[in-house]
Amino acid sequence: MKKNVFSKEPKSKEIKKLVVFFTQLLFLVLLLNSQNALGQNKTITGKVVDGDNLPLPGALVMLENSTIGAVTDFDGVYSIDVAGTGSQALTFTFAGFLPKSVAITNQTTINVTLAVDIAALDEVVVVGYGTQKKESLTAAVAVIDSEEIQTTTNVSIAQKLAGKIAGVQIRQQSGQPGSFDNDINIRGFGAPIYVIDGIRRGGSSDFQQLNADDIESVSILKDAAAAIYGLGAANGVVLVTTKKGKQSKPSFNYSSVFSYVRPTDVPKMASAAQYTQMWNDTQLFIPGGSGTPYYSAEEIELWKSGAPGYEGTDWGELVLRKQSSSVQHNFSATGGTDKTNYFMSFGYVNEDGLLKSDDMGYRRYNLRSNITTQLAKNLKASVLISGRWDKNWQPGANFFNVFKGTRVSLPTENAYANNNQNYLAPVSSGLNPVAFMERDITGYSESKTRRFTSTFSLEYDAPFLDGLSFKAVAAYDADNFQSKSLTPTYDLYTYDDVNDTYDAMKQNDGTANIRNGNSNSDALTFQGFVNYDKTINDVHEIGATAVIEKNSWAQRRSDIQRYYAEFYTKDQLRFADVLGQESDGIEDESADFSYVGRFNYAYKGKYLLEVAGRYMGSFRYSPKNRYGFYPTASIGWRVSEEGFIKNNISWISNLKFRGSYGIAGMPEGGPFQYVQGYSLGSGDSYEFVEGELTEGISTPPPPNGNLSWMEATTKNIGVDIGLMQNRLNMTAEVYERLLDGIPARRSLALPNTYGGELPQENLNSEITQGMEFSISYRNMIGRDFKYDISGNFSYARTKRKYVEGEAFTNSNSRWRNQQSNRWNDVAWGYNNIGQFQSVDELRNAPLQNGDQSNVQRELPGDFQYEDWNNDGIVDGQDEQPLFYSGRPKMYYGFTLNLEYKGFYANMLLQGAANYTVRFREVYAEMFAFRGNTPAYFYDRWHKADPYDINSEWIPGKWPANRTIGDVGGLYKESSVWRRDASYLRMKTLEFGYNLKSDYLQKTLGISNLRVYVSGFNLYTWADEFVKPFDPEKIEGAYSAGFTYPVTKTYNFGVNINF
Amino acid sequence: MKTIKNIFFILVFSFIATSCNDGLDLLPTDKITADELFGDPAGTKLYLADLYNRLPIEELTYFPQQGFNFNAGGPNNGGFTSSMLTQFAHHSERNTFINGGQLNWWDDAFKLIRDVNLFIDIIPSLDISESERALYMGEASFIRGFAYFGLAKRYGGVPIILSPQEFNGDPESLKVPRNTEKETWDFVLSECDIAANSLGESNGRRASKWAALALKSRAALYAASVAKYGGNVGLTGEAVNLGLIGLPESVAADYYQVCINASNEIMENGPYSLYKPNPGSADEAAENLRSMFENPNLAPEEAILIKGRTIPGDNYGNNYDIWFGPAQKRNGWPHPGRYCPTLEFADLFENYSNPGADGKIVTTVDGDTENYNGFDPARQYIHYGNPVDFFADKDARLRATVVLPMSEWKGDIMIYQAGFIKPDGEPKIETNTSIKVGEQFYFTYGTENPDEHSGFDSHGGNMSKTGFGFKKFLSTDPVVPGWNRSYTDFAEFRYAEVLLNYAEAVVESDLGNATNAANALNATRRRAFHQTDIPLTIENVLRERTVELAFENKMIWDLMRRRTYHTTFNNTRKHALKPVLDLRGTPPYEYIFIRDRVRGNDPQTFDINEYYRNIPGIGLNGLVPNP
Repeated sequence: MKKNVFSKEPKSKEIKKLVVFFTQLLFLVLLLNSQNALGQNKTITGKVVDGDNLPLPGALVMLENSTIGAVTDFDGVYSIDVAGTGSQALTFTFAGFLPKSVAITNQTTINVTLAVDIAALDEVVVVGYGTQKKESLTAAVAVIDSEEIQTTTNVSIAQKLAGKIAGVQIRQQSGQPGSFDNDINIRGFGAPIYVIDGIRRGGSSDFQQLNADDIESVSILKDAAAAIYGLGAANGVVLVTTKKGKQSKPSFNYSSVFSYVRPTDVPKMASAAQYTQMWNDTQLFIPGGSGTPYYSAEEIELWKSGAPGYEGTDWGELVLRKQSSSVQHNFSATGGTDKTNYFMSFGYVNEDGLLKSDDMGYRRYNLRSNITTQLAKNLKASVLISGRWDKNWQPGANFFNVFKGTRVSLPTENAYANNNQNYLAPVSSGLNPVAFMERDITGYSESKTRRFTSTFSLEYDAPFLDGLSFKAVAAYDADNFQSKSLTPTYDLYTYDDVNDTYDAMKQNDGTANIRNGNSNSDALTFQGFVNYDKTINDVHEIGATAVIEKNSWAQRRSDIQRYYAEFYTKDQLRFADVLGQESDGIEDESADFSYVGRFNYAYKGKYLLEVAGRYMGSFRYSPKNRYGFYPTASIGWRVSEEGFIKNNISWISNLKFRGSYGIAGMPEGGPFQYVQGYSLGSGDSYEFVEGELTEGISTPPPPNGNLSWMEATTKNIGVDIGLMQNRLNMTAEVYERLLDGIPARRSLALPNTYGGELPQENLNSEITQGMEFSISYRNMIGRDFKYDISGNFSYARTKRKYVEGEAFTNSNSRWRNQQSNRWNDVAWGYNNIGQFQSVDELRNAPLQNGDQSNVQRELPGDFQYEDWNNDGIVDGQDEQPLFYSGRPKMYYGFTLNLEYKGFYANMLLQGAANYTVRFREVYAEMFAFRGNTPAYFYDRWHKADPYDINSEWIPGKWPANRTIGDVGGLYKESSVWRRDASYLRMKTLEFGYNLKSDYLQKTLGISNLRVYVSGFNLYTWADEFVKPFDPEKIEGAYSAGFTYPVTKTYNFGVNINF
Repeated sequence: MKTIKNIFFILVFSFIATSCNDGLDLLPTDKITADELFGDPAGTKLYLADLYNRLPIEELTYFPQQGFNFNAGGPNNGGFTSSMLTQFAHHSERNTFINGGQLNWWDDAFKLIRDVNLFIDIIPSLDISESERALYMGEASFIRGFAYFGLAKRYGGVPIILSPQEFNGDPESLKVPRNTEKETWDFVLSECDIAANSLGESNGRRASKWAALALKSRAALYAASVAKYGGNVGLTGEAVNLGLIGLPESVAADYYQVCINASNEIMENGPYSLYKPNPGSADEAAENLRSMFENPNLAPEEAILIKGRTIPGDNYGNNYDIWFGPAQKRNGWPHPGRYCPTLEFADLFENYSNPGADGKIVTTVDGDTENYNGFDPARQYIHYGNPVDFFADKDARLRATVVLPMSEWKGDIMIYQAGFIKPDGEPKIETNTSIKVGEQFYFTYGTENPDEHSGFDSHGGNMSKTGFGFKKFLSTDPVVPGWNRSYTDFAEFRYAEVLLNYAEAVVESDLGNATNAANALNATRRRAFHQTDIPLTIENVLRERTVELAFENKMIWDLMRRRTYHTTFNNTRKHALKPVLDLRGTPPYEYIFIRDRVRGNDPQTFDINEYYRNIPGIGLNGLVPNP
């Protein structure tokens, strides 16, 4: 009854009471600890065993209606003091067994035998178009439940999964609020598809923005079993199941997390004193130049001493916070009667950005209502609805340019004219970040998404045939995306010291504009199911499912932009110039249709078989090629169910061998290639008459009816091992996927005088092979200390088999350029053999920069590259296949969970290896933008007298400072610049306390209160040179140094169940 | 219960029934059929618009590395133009010299040829009058001829493909061997003939009889030069032996004659003349010319074919104003001032007082113009209170083409100052410093704030390194600081070029009418306010070509066709004219000029194999490679 008191109180009182928890927390802890000291001793001891009379270590023994308990030791023995507690009974619980309650009478020994909980062993896993008992799985399916997901605190689900599942490869790209650009890849195959509550919906970003508190479990289909989903499923399927209600009293959960967010690394840029000296070097070392340093020695002294007017500007400090914050709140309610169950939740996320202007951030609201009800006998209906509203915003100059401004603006320049804070000044980089970060000055860009998903289903258990059921599902999702950007004119000022005036310089004059973008889409899915599940004679388990599925999707986009005439008025389209406007819009649609079937058979739970297939059609191909049939099959053998093990080797609890094989169809290639047609806007424009523009149309490739599905053939062999009551679990898998029919144009292989483009055909192929392994162990030490340790490891690599359009005129060219039958991840580069130590060494060395002399552009301290073919010239002939590029080949994770009484700790280490990255520009080249450069380049080769080019060299770590245009072979691809990006990262470290107490239960109705502190991305072990970019960022982003840094967070959270 | 069950089954079955229509027969939202397109002349015009825009016209969106129409979103190539590969211009921060990655145009050329061949195939089936059919044929021939001209000057002989090839599954059947260079040039000329015979007058925007003849004049002069001077270069290899590159010297005269005839036809019978041929002063001449390049539509009498751009934006506009305007007028744009016309260029312009000779800029009393060793206190420099006076005697086209130091541009004085000489005689040149003399501060680059000068300051590559700024084609409106926001039109064929083609062909061949040729040579000079005619010599003609056609992306091809690239660039440096304030003596202080090397410019040497570009894709097209 006390529970209800809480919910009856007005809202404000509830909140007050929440606050009271924190003050009472310490008191309660003391109270609980002191309880044992009260009263006289009465101790009950005993032993807990299973049906085979084997001891059950780690079983929990609790005094009923209290928080006092004990745990059995390795021999299953416990001892508990019951004096003065007034408790009437002991309850015994152990995972996988049915709990048992024994009344306390006068005895001092209570021995208990626990019975195996059949239902628990029947742990059910969500798989393609249904569920399956975990023990009878024959495919490579990984499952992660809500609890394991929640051990990591992050706004993105992707980061909550990273490192926890073998074969699920996740890379962070940035910590930008609202960016959700984590790269999710299963087994190195490519982007997977996302199935949420049985419906394929949304992409990676939508998945990442699900409310983690709504998720019951996530299943990852990694092998051919995914093929049943067709349509991209050959890259794997991420199946999300949201929480549903159970028959119980209403229970509520409130959780809240407050986080501090910091960049993992932002390198220091050179100070004014360092910069001026380094820039002088660049001028001194201009090849063939007059060798005059830019700043005089006197001026450099002033910068060094920081004399008035020579303080220098630390742009990063002016613009970037040390840390930003984010906050998350979630509230959910769940429960149900015998007819109707519900789960409903509301979530809120707010993240701030790192800009001191506060003009950057992300906000999200998630809402979910999952209701299931029994409409009639045998007929069940469910309505699952979710909504998401999210918005992110940043200054109009974009974070990229603000950040670039803090990196490249000169430390010798000022943000303000004449240091007067009312007048922002122009800077030579053109990027005054102090102006750029302000929404009130440079405008803003923001985007908003409103997303609605709904699923309605009816399920009917046929009364006339046991095991037969029907289900009809209709799902409707709507997505509305709106973007807006404003770039107004604004003024920067120069100071005129003669007249003591500030002269305005108008910015964005002529380009000031406002832009609105809109996109709306609707997705519809219908599914009809027939299911049959039957066990015959307790020996033959049969399951069969047949599904018809139809998906359709349509989108309409428009984009409108107006320029402001001379004067910026207001941030509304209507108030910009009518004459300067641009607009664009298009509609798109897609549809697919499939028949899906699956059949499972198990004999005595030992021999398992599954066959499945999907016959599907896509709108994208010609009617004659649009349908394909894609079958899969898998088998399993549960050796541990065989008598020779079951009856003889008690420490083997589970041993299963399994294998799968299947072909999946992937929709690839541009749609409608079978339709002959000229595309509007496909050609260039021309002005046949002055002032009249004609948009042209170009010749299309000939129509192509032959393009069809790309096919993925996947094989997987796995073994699952469980030892010592499944305390130690291991899974190992090896797999191979052949991707055949990757669309390519045959014209690539035609003479380049043909001039035409041929349509795409299913020509190319590649093969991916890999293995993965995971192991976990859980146990206890003593009565109270529980721990589990797990680790996972995966390795995958892809080889191209056939690549269209390859032809070589000689064997050297073939050796250097061939792609087919080669790994897809080889990067060629020069072998760095050290730094030149002297001019003499330089003169005698092979020419470093093609046929150009070493004297002009190479200097002592420059990296020396190996003349591999010994021809005296370091050129393309000397490149060697030295590096792994592309994705990491190896991923691994290590998890440790500890629990002692109410205290717990968990830690996740995650790493990747076998890849390199080549970053360029600001952190990887000296004076990349002729602006400022990182401070670390100050440790460089330079002249003893920086004003005398003939003085002796002083060695340093980096080569002599020069601008990009003045170096020779310095930046050649080599191990200097292309670095091994292998890393190991402390992804998560969390400490918390779970408080379960009678007092809380009785006074506040709180069944559990958890408080915790945690950190995310706390520490990274990686190459020092890679860290400024962050090793997880993907190479190729041409300015990786200017995108939002990857971040670490410190979290403080509370979680209350009542 | 029963009813609920019935309802359920009705629902399920109706659902399955609707599902049986798979709904996959969608239609694309972006395509129309060939019949719809070519069924209407307005549609055909859309197809032609695309072909015209792909012509190899080296206008303001052409760059030697990236090729034609380099104006999609954010075309950041540093603004490196083909003139910077000649001795007449330098890039403010790159010392790139000609290499195999530049001046290529192959795949896109054959795409254009295929697409025009497809059009030629369609013309007979169009429902139009015979005269319209002839016009389409003429336009198609002009486009195809222009495409082959673009190929011939880059690669020599190339495969001549007259109809769109059908792919029957065997790539071998598509291979077409190279024609000889001679066959290729002859094909270009014959296409010009077809076009000239089918087409009529022009609106200046579309192929016409006159545009075809102008192309013919240019192509024939190119072929004639290759024939006459090709032997000067010792190219060897299979391509030479087979005649795939190179022409026999014996055919030079024939081609010169073709050039003379085509040019003469335009001069005699065409409606063209020079724009404002008789100016009243040098200043007027300079302004006439500058405004004509800012807007060639002012000069319909001179512009034979204009490639027009009416609106700014991606794929429409160009980036000359943002890349090349003086730093002082950058209007917030971060990368101005890339184009640095050299001292070699300025030297070339005649002095009005000394017609018919290079107007080498004399900066010292000793008159030595070959001393490039920087400031020498022993030498006596000529002093100027207003440096613009220094160029008063120079051909007006110099000021029309470049921004002179301390001259006015868009309402302000453009400061190009390289340094000062301290009162004690110590030079401070191309170093950032200041000095207080009397009560006044002096800065090496003219002003303290880098936004208030345009020369020599080393930050950001935004400042001229040569003492001259770029002016031709720039808009007099404020720079719009965004990509592709300039929409200057470009005259690809000007009457002035035809005159100079004629003059060159006559002087090189001794064919044609020498008097007319001398008149042609002097016509463009008179338009530049020269009052004295000069004789018809090859030096005079070549100088006139350079100063008249400067920076129109034609100078590099003059070096190529006349085979003077390797003699011009033989360990060769480019030079600057550095204005320096002389603080010796008493105020008012005056400027001196120093003939000096361009800082950051290495000596450059031309490899003779660069006279022909490498043919790409040899492995698949099986063509004989160039040396």
